[in-house]
Amino acid sequence: MGRRLLGLVFVYSLALALALVVYATGSLQPPHEIKRLGVFYVEETFFGNMTAMSPEAVTAIVWDYRGLDTVYETAVFFLAVVAGLAVFRVSKTPPLKRGVGLTEISRTSTKIVAALIVVVSASIALHGHLTPGGGFQGGSTLAIAPLLVIPIFSYYALLARRLTPGLLVTLRGLALTAIGLVALLPVFKGLEVVTNIRFYPAYILGQLVSGSLLLYNSSEYIAVASGFAAVFLYLSFEEEFHEEERGEDHE
Amino acid sequence: MSEAGLVWSLLVGLLAVNLLVSVYGIIYGRSLTKKLISLTIFSDTVYVFFIMVGYRLVYPTVPPVYVELTRDQLEYLAKHAVDPVPQALVLTGIVIGMAVNALIGFGIIQAYRLKKTVTARELVGFEEVE
Repeated sequence: MGRRLLGLVFVYSLALALALVVYATGSLQPPHEIKRLGVFYVEETFFGNMTAMSPEAVTAIVWDYRGLDTVYETAVFFLAVVAGLAVFRVSKTPPLKRGVGLTEISRTSTKIVAALIVVVSASIALHGHLTPGGGFQGGSTLAIAPLLVIPIFSYYALLARRLTPGLLVTLRGLALTAIGLVALLPVFKGLEVVTNIRFYPAYILGQLVSGSLLLYNSSEYIAVASGFAAVFLYLSFEEEFHEEERGEDHE
Repeated sequence: MSEAGLVWSLLVGLLAVNLLVSVYGIIYGRSLTKKLISLTIFSDTVYVFFIMVGYRLVYPTVPPVYVELTRDQLEYLAKHAVDPVPQALVLTGIVIGMAVNALIGFGIIQAYRLKKTVTARELVGFEEVE
């Protein structure tokens, strides 16, 4: 224990010494201006000639100006989840049992909180082009709902409602196909891949939807949430079940 | 020489040490899980550096989001908003980082299931599994 404390003291002293050296040289000051590129994005995101029609500059960069990058990023995330599930090699789901779950108090409060999580996450995702947030953030929030349900009600509660890993992975595949389609559709009209405002309408029924940004955000929302939920479900299966699965693999 | 400069230097010092500690953890951590935790600390520290690069010291500092869709707001944001580029890069980085971490996590769980250990030296056979 003494050695750990000594290490901690040493590390903090090192940080302090480094900070004092940096301060004494006066070479590092917080900037008062941002880079020209940043100003360009802030100015162009809604009013400029190269507008993405989004009041939120970060979403505009992520899904419009650097949209191709994000499409690849989504592909990487998808492949990681698929690779993880492939490592587990679970082909079927455990047989349904009837569990009691935790106490009445925790079950009731979880029901209320889970409903709230769904609403908040949908708001984060669907307002992604207007306020800070977006598909990934909303999807990660939504994935908390099954993560809460699994320990409180047991994963049988999800399986009994047909929320199986197979369905979730299928949902994820469909949402990713939607992202790919939204990115590719402009090509058929002779435009570049991931074209936004020149192909998709900025306003629908008087509501600002920022072209493809809303479509990307909502698809990413479903993709991320179902991907995480599938992973959580696989991780919550009992170790005995995984052993049985492996045993059958070897035979 | 200002208070802001001192706080800035302190942040840089702490982050630099954070990087060192996480690299130490990645190299010398015995268990793969601890190596993974160190890796996440490393990447998170890099993200904070990114966000620092995009910060600007003006009053008030605002996020690059239009509160109202007017030309006045545009001029206000050009003078007060932080840089949106590092934020977008960090967002991409977080997603990729999480994908990689999840994959490594799966690998560690599977290694434990097959070999009943997550200690790096035991996994490669340099030490006996206890």
